[in-house]
Amino acid sequence: MTSTTITPERVESDAPEATQKGQSVPRKEDRRLVQGEGVFIDDVKRHGMGYIHFVRSPYAHAHITSIDVSKAEALPGVYGTLTGEEVASLTEPFFQLAKAPASNLQDYALAVGKVRYVGESIVAVVAETRELARDASELVEIEYDPIAPIVDARMAQGDAPVLHDEAGTNVMWEGSFEWGDLDAAFAEADKVIKIDELHFHRFNSTPLETDGALAEYNRGTGQWTVHCNNQFPGFAAIMMGPALRCGLDKLRFVTQDIGGGFGNKITTHPQLVVCCLLARKLRRPVQWTEWRTDFHMSMSHANERWFLDTEVAVKNDGTLLGFRTKALDDTGAWLRYEPLGCIIWSQVAPGMYRWRNIRVDFTQVATNKAPCSPNRGYSRMQHLWFTERVIDIVAHELDLDPVEVRKLNYVRSDEMPYETPNGCVYDSGDYARMLDIGLELVDYANIDARRADAKARGKLLGLGIGSTLDSGTNNFAQSQLINSDLQFSGNNEVATVKLDIFGEIVVTLGTVPQGQGHETPTSQVVSDILGCSVDDVQVRAGHDSYWNSHAGFSGTYASQFAVTGLGAVKGAADMLASQIKRLGSAVLGAPIEALELAEGSVRIKDNPEVALPFMACGAIINANNAGLPDDLEDVTLNCRYVYKPSFQVPDLERNFGNLTLTYATQIHVAVIEVDPETGYYDIVDYAAVDDCGKRINPRIVEGQVMGATALALGAATWEIYAYDEDGNLLTPNFYDYHVPHALDMPPLKTADIESPSPFTPLGTKGMGEGGGAGIHAICAAVQDALRGNGDAIVSDSHNPYHKVWELLEHPAEAGGHVSVVNA
Amino acid sequence: MNVSGERTFAAPRTAVWKVLNDPAAMAKTMPGVQSFDVHDAARWTANVKIPLGLGGLKMQIDMNKTEEREPEFAKLQIKGKGVGAMLNMETSFELSDADGGTAMKWAAEVKLAGPVGSMGQRVLQPIVNQQVEHVLSALDREVQAAVAGGS
Repeated sequence: MTSTTITPERVESDAPEATQKGQSVPRKEDRRLVQGEGVFIDDVKRHGMGYIHFVRSPYAHAHITSIDVSKAEALPGVYGTLTGEEVASLTEPFFQLAKAPASNLQDYALAVGKVRYVGESIVAVVAETRELARDASELVEIEYDPIAPIVDARMAQGDAPVLHDEAGTNVMWEGSFEWGDLDAAFAEADKVIKIDELHFHRFNSTPLETDGALAEYNRGTGQWTVHCNNQFPGFAAIMMGPALRCGLDKLRFVTQDIGGGFGNKITTHPQLVVCCLLARKLRRPVQWTEWRTDFHMSMSHANERWFLDTEVAVKNDGTLLGFRTKALDDTGAWLRYEPLGCIIWSQVAPGMYRWRNIRVDFTQVATNKAPCSPNRGYSRMQHLWFTERVIDIVAHELDLDPVEVRKLNYVRSDEMPYETPNGCVYDSGDYARMLDIGLELVDYANIDARRADAKARGKLLGLGIGSTLDSGTNNFAQSQLINSDLQFSGNNEVATVKLDIFGEIVVTLGTVPQGQGHETPTSQVVSDILGCSVDDVQVRAGHDSYWNSHAGFSGTYASQFAVTGLGAVKGAADMLASQIKRLGSAVLGAPIEALELAEGSVRIKDNPEVALPFMACGAIINANNAGLPDDLEDVTLNCRYVYKPSFQVPDLERNFGNLTLTYATQIHVAVIEVDPETGYYDIVDYAAVDDCGKRINPRIVEGQVMGATALALGAATWEIYAYDEDGNLLTPNFYDYHVPHALDMPPLKTADIESPSPFTPLGTKGMGEGGGAGIHAICAAVQDALRGNGDAIVSDSHNPYHKVWELLEHPAEAGGHVSVVNA
Repeated sequence: MNVSGERTFAAPRTAVWKVLNDPAAMAKTMPGVQSFDVHDAARWTANVKIPLGLGGLKMQIDMNKTEEREPEFAKLQIKGKGVGAMLNMETSFELSDADGGTAMKWAAEVKLAGPVGSMGQRVLQPIVNQQVEHVLSALDREVQAAVAGGS
């Protein structure tokens, strides 16, 4: 039995015999965070700095006919402005990942000549206070000539107004994916289920901290220092360097504490470029902290997606043979990370199921809405929701038990590692066992009795299941599947571990933690390797590109820290351990094999009293190194390791290859009770079962599961970015965009299994993006509750109470349209 | 947002037409008009403060009569801009004789952009309906005053 104590100054674990890995060590960073001593971007101040406010478009689509900043600039206290015309002369358009014609987009940091969504930045105003900058922005006079907007992706083609004349079309990417033998699958089928339309709505994750930056320009060196909360500086750098016409050595990115990212904070490069230009133009540091409404209006929504004309080939017993669908993705006005979403989904092409025959015709279009970019579960969430929806609709139409259909079709544990039809490899897992655990947690055995009890109380009880395959550690070569000219592949991450002069163990990470608690599992891994306590390991907070502990893909995104981040940490710690032993061998006069690292020293295993403390090791190498043997010349006790997973470039002709390294899993089971009079529903029971391989810190994993569940329940019931026909965002603030808080959350029951990944250094899998499971669990529970009460088909991922009422009152009109054809 | 309706005035069509085309008279019907400038017979500008509950919305509104068939039909293009809102409206009215008075069919397509537009129809529709009712009642008073003044 392991117990853990917390003192005011130190976090200690009294588990000397056990490894620190696998222990719920309290998070080291929480002490400063709960005491209000964290350093977030708005805490970074500089003498004489100016505050930025962005003037944003009130129109979804309009030509800008004139801009006059003279009145704003004349206001006392205003330091200056920046317009799109200036940006166009001072920078290059951002590099586009898309192939032609979308590669022709002229994307600048501020709108040039035209606005394409409500909230698009047009002018930046800098003043001595944030409030003055905001007031001054109202003096900027802009004339517009409105154009008809496109707000429905289904209407974006044909005669629709074109957002980007340079592209000549609103289609940003299109392509077909086909694996297996569709004709044979449909020939073998007993039934074909046809689903006209499924819709995954537009929403987002909500970080506590909005985006922001403080930019400084050193005129002597020509270097910018960008204190920011961007979560993927590697990506920001390759976008910003060419745009600013400078080498990446001129861009220093610094972060410390970040109040949540969820992918949203990957694509802040346009705003960061504005900050850089203004810092140079005004010869003073400039600070930008995004207003919450601006975040809602303009910052990287999650992709909205339709699945049209879906056909599913099934046997009478529910065996899934294949499906084909037309995916239509709404990416908003710009391609800030897109069209990568057009391929990311295929990491989980068959979902958790043994589908071998799949065809997806994928089209991504631009609309007059905020640009999309990664959001927790990026692109896979939409597709996994689709596969789960198909399962329940098949079960509904064939009058089968959704539980049994799942179990019949799940990829089995004895098939792991499992190669999907498109060449991805599911590394490990036991989906059926996880489902059983989830069902047991919600007392599925007595569900009929509970249904009857609810009915007696005038309520409709429904049970729903959802699942997420949380694919982590991208093979960036998948980008070549959407544009073969791109030269990205593989993945990497960096860590340094050093033993300093007085024996301090100091770790720097290339990752960019946003609340995940990287400092703690890092310390656990290092302490196990170096034989010291967790508290002896000092992990630098945040990220700084001056540390030289970063590589091209450094950042924290796409469920990979436990693999890439900790893989780098392990590699660097192993190197350091080796060097300490070599030094110990020379000093103690013992062979390396006879040494061990324990209790903060290198010592002889059979005679532990003969030991060289780390303090002595650090001092010898760093400050007292005369007379050391020549063969220790390379011993620096300062070890840098680049972790690179083993990947190949996919077969571009067949769209075939391994796109990601690990597959964590979450299965959620929801039980709801619907009031048939109003459509209001309560979640009366909820279970989330997680499998992320080897867990380094179970409590942190648990927190991720809970957070992902909150994301899911918010999206399922309340959170939507709704636009009116003119392109006005109708939910630009917390009044209309309700994010669940503690009181909205049902009691959660959680459980886990561990299926260590055979492909990663620690058996871990990246995790944290399991929210999609909950979105579908609610959809399925609603549909189950409506069984026998109109039998509506739930065809939308967003089901607020009024929508459920519509499904009850008008099942044919409000629900999805499905037909069954005997094959 | 599309709004439309019908109103009957106890006045001859020429009297109603005259009021509808008299900027000074129309200014009195509009909510929160603070100043009114007539550029020519077809173009007017009004500075208004529209009561929206939270301190009001100041706007400069430019009206341009784009079509006219005296004394039965006119169409106006209206553009407004202010802090927090941009207004684009196309409105038309059609007059006909009815039971000794005048019937007016009117319709307007209102487009609001900016933060006020984000409030959405569910919030704005009742406000618009209320303001339209105020305008029509004021218009009725102006018509009656014009009739009384002219008789």
